[in-house]
Amino acid sequence: MTMAPQDIFPALADWVATLDDTFPGAWVKPYFAQWEVGHILTLALLGGCSILLNLRLIGYGLTDEPPSEVRRGVLKWLNVGVVGVILTGVLIGASNAERLYTSEAFTAKMLGLAAALVLTYGVSLPVAKAEGRASPAAHLAGLLGVLLWAASLWVFGIGKLINPGVWHVIFAAALIVLFVTRGLTRIVYVATGVGLVTALYVMNRVVISPDDYARLDPMNKAFAGGFAVWILAAIAVQLVTTGRGAQGGAFTKAMAYAAILVWITTAAAGRWIAFA
Amino acid sequence: MIRDVVVWLSQLGKGPGEYDPSWSEQLASTLNFWGLLEGTHVLSLMLFAGTIFLVDFRLLGWSFRRTPVSVVSDRVLPLTVFGFALMVVTGVALFYAKPLLYYHNIWFRLKLIFLVVASINILVFHFRVQRNRDAWDTAESPPAAAKASAWISLSAWILVITFGRFIAYDWYECGKPLPHWANAVQSCAASERGAIELGETAQ
Repeated sequence: MTMAPQDIFPALADWVATLDDTFPGAWVKPYFAQWEVGHILTLALLGGCSILLNLRLIGYGLTDEPPSEVRRGVLKWLNVGVVGVILTGVLIGASNAERLYTSEAFTAKMLGLAAALVLTYGVSLPVAKAEGRASPAAHLAGLLGVLLWAASLWVFGIGKLINPGVWHVIFAAALIVLFVTRGLTRIVYVATGVGLVTALYVMNRVVISPDDYARLDPMNKAFAGGFAVWILAAIAVQLVTTGRGAQGGAFTKAMAYAAILVWITTAAAGRWIAFA
Repeated sequence: MIRDVVVWLSQLGKGPGEYDPSWSEQLASTLNFWGLLEGTHVLSLMLFAGTIFLVDFRLLGWSFRRTPVSVVSDRVLPLTVFGFALMVVTGVALFYAKPLLYYHNIWFRLKLIFLVVASINILVFHFRVQRNRDAWDTAESPPAAAKASAWISLSAWILVITFGRFIAYDWYECGKPLPHWANAVQSCAASERGAIELGETAQ
């Protein structure tokens, strides 16, 4: 059983097959590359806004300003980015619909998008407006967003040929932790990370032959788990210690990590549609 | 001459046998590593381009109008620089995987030109435009020179990203029948697949 849209919505097959022959798919198709550029530019814009907003909630970046002021600064452009990325996504998707219909990465991407919208508009923005304090509604949205994100990561992680893309999410999480940790935690964190990367390289290039996929695959999955534990441990340490100028509690900070990484998950799954 | 260096790069690490791959060919033929490099290159735009856009918007008076320019620069640009380092490391590795393909690619050449334009703009901003920043640090709408820098920055990076994406398309690939100017600007005559002028194919 696979998790591609065609497995979940088999009745849509005939409709999907017509999309690239009708408006707007047929209209976009000759200019696919140009619309793709629009998708990437709006992705970059929304990514920059989300990173600045959520790093502030973690207690890093624009700490000279209260979270509500950072929210004010990014809100308009975050909206432009989100609307732009969805609009261009629908257009290039309509011109390429049969490819998406058979892609598990696309399922992961759509679950990720739903999670990203819930975590951005239901948690990050309202919590920043309240200077880091999370209302009961934000807690509920946080729970829903994290469940959707977990579903997205699950499809991404079990999908054949696309699961290496999960490394993007692990790598991004590792970078956020690198930015926000300080002092001894940062030193221990970097040293452990260098050790893990070295071990991963040695196992992939020296111990196991690079073309022995049957043995490499389970080992690399185990390594992905090891990296996740390493990062989550560092995040846990960071959550219980107070960051610079972080007004919110552990929930706010944890949601801020999730709100950045869920966009990374969505974008990474999008890129791996083309690679699988 | 530059092409000789690129050829040398592409052959580096080649084994003694006729079919032993070079390091460059090994990188290009990895099952997932190349995809992870390319994916990281694109995703890093969220950190690099996304933050530089917001700094430019501040200079244009489009966002963070109540935050001093110096605060936005000091707090956001370290993230931008880190993102740029990621872009360069992954970009150089991607070039190394298929150096001759990119060397003869019109979009790659255009991308490098606008990378230089963006870099010069950064230098001019840093050493000239920004020198009297104290006078307009808290201005909601900075002076025209700063705005011009922001416009050049935005345009140059958008073009760099656009041309970068177009590299993947084979519209002007050497070896296809191409207009004369396309063969000329890509140095197709020197490429392995040669230069074929549009209209000559009938003979």
